[in-house]
Amino acid sequence: MPILECRELSKHFGSVQALDEVSLTLEAGRVIGLLGPNGSGKTTLLKLANGLLTPTGGEILIDGLAPGKETKRIVSYLPDRPYLAEWMKVSQLLDLFEDFYDDFDRDRAIEMLLRLNIDEEMRIKEMSKGTREKAQLILVMSRKAKLYLLDEPIGGVDPATRDYILETIIRNYNPEAAVVISTHLIADVEQVLDDVVFINQGKIMLQASVDSIREEHGMSVDQYFREVFRC
Amino acid sequence: MLGKLIKQEFRATARIMLPVSGAVLVLALLANLSIRGLSGNMSNVPALRMLLAFIVFAYGAAIVAAAVMAMVIMINRFYRNLLKDEGYLMFTLPVSVHELVWAKLIVSLVWFLVTGLLIALVCSATALNISHTSLAEVFREMPSWSEIRDALKELGVYNGLIGLTMQGILVILLSILALCLHFYAAMSLGHMFSKEKILLSIVFFVVISFAFSMMQTGISIAGFEAIDRLHPVLDSQNGIHDFMMLAWIFIGMKLIQSAVLYFATVLSLKRGLNLE
Repeated sequence: MPILECRELSKHFGSVQALDEVSLTLEAGRVIGLLGPNGSGKTTLLKLANGLLTPTGGEILIDGLAPGKETKRIVSYLPDRPYLAEWMKVSQLLDLFEDFYDDFDRDRAIEMLLRLNIDEEMRIKEMSKGTREKAQLILVMSRKAKLYLLDEPIGGVDPATRDYILETIIRNYNPEAAVVISTHLIADVEQVLDDVVFINQGKIMLQASVDSIREEHGMSVDQYFREVFRC
Repeated sequence: MLGKLIKQEFRATARIMLPVSGAVLVLALLANLSIRGLSGNMSNVPALRMLLAFIVFAYGAAIVAAAVMAMVIMINRFYRNLLKDEGYLMFTLPVSVHELVWAKLIVSLVWFLVTGLLIALVCSATALNISHTSLAEVFREMPSWSEIRDALKELGVYNGLIGLTMQGILVILLSILALCLHFYAAMSLGHMFSKEKILLSIVFFVVISFAFSMMQTGISIAGFEAIDRLHPVLDSQNGIHDFMMLAWIFIGMKLIQSAVLYFATVLSLKRGLNLE
């Protein structure tokens, strides 16, 4: 059974069509890049998968189920913005994740926090933007989820942190799980991807493995993306 | 999972409500000492007199602040925790929307009750202090419960008054729930839209207020007319009976109001959630 499946999935906001009859199947055990320019529908697709939006048409299934309480147990989601309460300490957030997610591995989170010199007694509001992003990613990647949905995980951080984040993603994910990384910074994530999905103006333009793009077109995913989305 | 949500909610609200309640208690103690000071011979020193008067003023302000804070916390927790960025975490927890709303409702209800009881307690203490009555005197003067009960039974209103008290508690609880849900529903409906979310929340608040006050007025008039026809002449017996009937009508209205607002809130969050 695919871990994520969209059947003619549509979402519009008033007159704006964010997703237009998208059909897509993602299998477990792969790292998938959801690639597209700004405003292409990447975030909308991930929000629909998390039940944060309701489809206007079609359906989206996670492990065969419509988004709900059951699917939220197996999906670990990193939104594209700071979403942790500013007054909370890291230790309180560890409690919260441990309380609600059965698959949360506190020891793994503590180990990563130590490695990145993030003090458990630090409050979110005391952190720099980059540290907040790291803390969020540590919480999300410390779950042993079946599907990781990471929206712009490397958006606003320096290159060294970027490398650490990608390393964290690869090192921590369970081989039976699927990781979806949504981004427009393709060159940075290309090294970790197995498959790519190109999305533009709410439509899927391409779904292929990274190897097949390199073999068939003789160029990197980044180069091919620039070719497809040439302005 | 509801228990865990309530625990988190208390953690988030207690960090503000406990210091506020503590400040009220400390200021109540200081203000009551100041009141004694002002009425004693210390009142001859102008600077001290001003300081004591300032403490009494701060005490009054703290009481108002505590009541306002319970209200602000109720609105702000729902808004920030569910409808702004923190909503990305809350709505991806493996919990139902019902549980999210109930956790907020229960914790707000508790803080309203705690604040209300605290204010009642400190105000009673101040009243006793001003009238120079000690607590021992109050208990000495007060008739025993059995005396009160016998007197009420003699008048034939004992059972009625017990019933009315129960109704009173129900009215307080339901009124608090309806107040919270009024804000929750207006905010949830307003945040279904992509733009002008706050403005639309205010519009929904006003529309809901108008609709329910029309309903309340209509039902109250009908209730009074029915009672008038039933008992054109009032005595203590049917007076209590009529009052209880009116209270049941009010409870029924608050129940309907709360149920409608609750489902409006849950449906908007389930079907129309639109986080920025």
